[in-house]
Amino acid sequence: MQKIEAIIQPSKLDAVKDALVEAGISGITIFEARGHGRQKGHTEFYRGREYAVDLLPKVKLELVVSDDMKDKAIEAIISVARTGRIGDGKIFVSRIDEAIRIRNDERGEIAL
Amino acid sequence: MNPTPGGTARGVYEERIAEIRSNFESNGDGLHAAAARSSLVDGLVMQFWEEQVAANARLGKGVAVCAIGGFGRGQLFPYSDVDLMFSVEKGAEKLAKEPIRSVSQSLWDCGLQVSCVARPLGECERLDPANPEFALALLDLRWLGGDQGTFARLKEKSVAKLRSRDGEAIGIELAKLTSERHAKFGDTLFHLEPNVKDCPGGLRDANVRQWLAGLRAGKNAQSVAMASSPSTEEFQEAVAFLAAVRCFLHYRNERDDNTLDWQTQDAAAKHRVGLPGSGRGTVDAAYWMRTYFRHARVIEKCLLREAESAGLEVESPSAVRRIRVPEDAGFQLKAGVLELAQASSSGVDAAYEPEIVLAAFRAMAESGARLSQGSEERIANAVPRLSSNLEEGPGLWRQLSAILIGQRAGHALRAMHALGVLELILPEFHGIDALVIRDAYHRYTVDEHTFVLIDTLHGLKADPKKDARKEVEEWRVKFGAIVAELQNPGLLYLAAVLHDTGKGRVSENHAAESARLAQSVLSRLEMDAYDGGVVMRLIETHLEMSAAMRRDIFDAETVRAFVAKIQTHELLRMLTLFTYADIAAVHPDALTPWKAENLWRLYIATANQLDRNVDEVRVHTRVSRGALGGWRKDEKITRVLSLVPGREAAMEQFLEGFPERYVSTRSAETMRQHFEMTQHFAEDPFQMTFQHGATQSGSAMSEITLVTRDRPRLFAGMAAALAAWGMNVVTADAFANQAGVVVDTFRFTDTFKTLELNDSERDRFLSSVRDLVAGRASVEKLLSGRRRAKRRPPRVAVETKIEFDETASSHSTLLQVIAQDIPGLLRAISATLSERGHNVEVALVDTEGETAIDVFYLTTDGKRLTVEQEMELRQGLIEAIAANTR
Repeated sequence: MQKIEAIIQPSKLDAVKDALVEAGISGITIFEARGHGRQKGHTEFYRGREYAVDLLPKVKLELVVSDDMKDKAIEAIISVARTGRIGDGKIFVSRIDEAIRIRNDERGEIAL
Repeated sequence: MNPTPGGTARGVYEERIAEIRSNFESNGDGLHAAAARSSLVDGLVMQFWEEQVAANARLGKGVAVCAIGGFGRGQLFPYSDVDLMFSVEKGAEKLAKEPIRSVSQSLWDCGLQVSCVARPLGECERLDPANPEFALALLDLRWLGGDQGTFARLKEKSVAKLRSRDGEAIGIELAKLTSERHAKFGDTLFHLEPNVKDCPGGLRDANVRQWLAGLRAGKNAQSVAMASSPSTEEFQEAVAFLAAVRCFLHYRNERDDNTLDWQTQDAAAKHRVGLPGSGRGTVDAAYWMRTYFRHARVIEKCLLREAESAGLEVESPSAVRRIRVPEDAGFQLKAGVLELAQASSSGVDAAYEPEIVLAAFRAMAESGARLSQGSEERIANAVPRLSSNLEEGPGLWRQLSAILIGQRAGHALRAMHALGVLELILPEFHGIDALVIRDAYHRYTVDEHTFVLIDTLHGLKADPKKDARKEVEEWRVKFGAIVAELQNPGLLYLAAVLHDTGKGRVSENHAAESARLAQSVLSRLEMDAYDGGVVMRLIETHLEMSAAMRRDIFDAETVRAFVAKIQTHELLRMLTLFTYADIAAVHPDALTPWKAENLWRLYIATANQLDRNVDEVRVHTRVSRGALGGWRKDEKITRVLSLVPGREAAMEQFLEGFPERYVSTRSAETMRQHFEMTQHFAEDPFQMTFQHGATQSGSAMSEITLVTRDRPRLFAGMAAALAAWGMNVVTADAFANQAGVVVDTFRFTDTFKTLELNDSERDRFLSSVRDLVAGRASVEKLLSGRRRAKRRPPRVAVETKIEFDETASSHSTLLQVIAQDIPGLLRAISATLSERGHNVEVALVDTEGETAIDVFYLTTDGKRLTVEQEMELRQGLIEAIAANTR
């Protein structure tokens, strides 16, 4: 089992969700996040007043999939979240040792 | 209860329980079902206890078996817990311990959830502040069996002592617990999926009312409450309805689950739960829920009245502000309670006079006071008479607006809604009365969502809250600063009241349907075109900002598309606040700091973009690009053309070449009026309209529009005339069409109230403006005689900033001046421009609190300004603004 964590533009959330469902993945956890990568912060002006913009709004997705679904899930995310501009986000993948469904104690991939 | 041959106690119990359920399913009587189960459990408890006494006769003395809590009231809903108390005399504690445990075990074995306590008599004498619930449970004490003497001592000595000594303290604890419970439910009974036991207006509130009545009278709770209330029948009906619903819920869920979710609402409506004529077909779920809310309202009202009589507060505490009420107001305000006079100064019952009733609601909105029980009843009864006495038009809007801008407007509006007064003024609101719209996000009914939205908007102005989550509070304060910049907040609140009324109709687009309903409200209130336009556009676009937030808010195209829909800073400010409050009113956790931040960024990006490109995007009447990108005639232009049948070509010529901002910020009727003015140039080349209006805050916001052929110094002349008369320009814009017709509009306040106090001065003012723009009078002469207002030091100092932008337009230079808003500022700027021969192609003047933000698109001899001209102009502006400040 693999955990996929993806940090994407908030505006891409609906499209990513649809793409994952189409790829056969429905279990997903979403977090509202703020951060920056290489973009760093900058200053904006609003009608003569100055505002620092250091952290940008992002959405973080977390999903755990079976090993054979990993590439499909990553492809689904990239296919719709990529614009080619700085700030498109990142995907992190890590191995998961165990999954347990609390309701009935099912374990392993069946619990996903 | 004796087991049948071969059966067990549990078997018998389950058999009887099945009978009770079957009876409920055929007669729908929840109270009867609860009483029957209670009686069944009475028997079971005593059977087990008597078995213990039979085994040890010493238990017959010194131990009383008592029911407390709901069991004590004789009401055990199908899956409710059983609260049992063994009252034990001194010396019997040890002896009773094991038998009590055994009884408890036997009851659990029968499938009952039992809470079993053994208490010495002395422990029942005083209120334990750490456990006030036990004292409350004792208020429903009932003897089941055991030593009658012990029970008599418990009831007549210990509990009587508790009531007499700590009765007041119990009442206070009860009010506190109730207030905390209500707060958990957002202090409203209007939940999409209410809890029929614990929500405000639920069965728990019915119990609280009984306890308060009992404590107040110092007698048996039930008999006193029933006897003392004028609305006993209504109350009993409501309790019976909720009891039926609770029974239905328990049987359906097979556990003590009291949440009326959507599926259960459908099922309850299908079975007509709580309604007369069970088995006579189904009812609509929305109708059934309205019936639920009606009954819950009765219980809540009865509880509030009982609390009022007891001098207790069961609603979440919120300070009542002291306000001054004139002696002849027709009502009095004492200790947070508003009492209508029996007769007004004209001798008629004050409840029949709309002026007085609306003024009373205004006082509630300003102070947070509540209506007395008697006044509520009189207003409710007077509604038909009020209806025939109510006069519509600007007077009604003034009164409604005054209510809406009160800090506790939501509180006053809820009271008006409950009494039918809100629907009297706005019948359009009736469609969303207690309306349940099923989606996964909303928590409240549509009407309550509206009130919570209004509460949220007013909450933005409140002082920072110490106990609030810091990250949320920071955003609240930030958005709160925008509220202070609103020119006419009443319009925002009116739009808020009406924004979801369309949900009461079958429609795919509730925003458009709400706007359609609002149209009739605005015409009844005879609202002027500008104000009415703001309300309409707010309602029409109230979902646009949320929609834009789902796109990339850092993408210039997203912002430009949003700007095209918004067009003015005032609308942007209102829509931003509206969106903030609309999200917050979905449910208490809906507005996260993340969403607030995104909304703020979109607001800033839009504000920065709003005045760019205005000179570039112009009307081409024959092929105007529509919002969807296809070539089609703009819907609004089609509407304007339809207003001048037979003269469409002339109208098209008039509109041709105006910036699109002109068309999008004017109503079709206003544009028609401007067109008609151009048809009278032969008689008078300087056509003007003037509207002297009063806003809700008492400061008059007037509007003057000049329609004429373009000529030098027009804008500067208008600004100078207004400055000379002491008028403070709040917003202004100036547009020209391809044929060189200009439309300059100024909205201003009358610093010295010259026009407000002297009708005759209005003609002199208009003729003075006309003379000045026509060049028949000297600006300098007029200005030399002007009065200067005494200037107070500004609360927020604004540094002057002058910016030129060469990229905003292909043929003109954008100049943005940000400066301290001081009377005469616009005159100083526009005079500087005209002295240097710069022509104003488009002007957009705005004020945010103490900041003036003036944007001009300039040309000189038909061309953009050169770098040298910009430098020279910058210096000239700095000097002129400084001179005006002195």
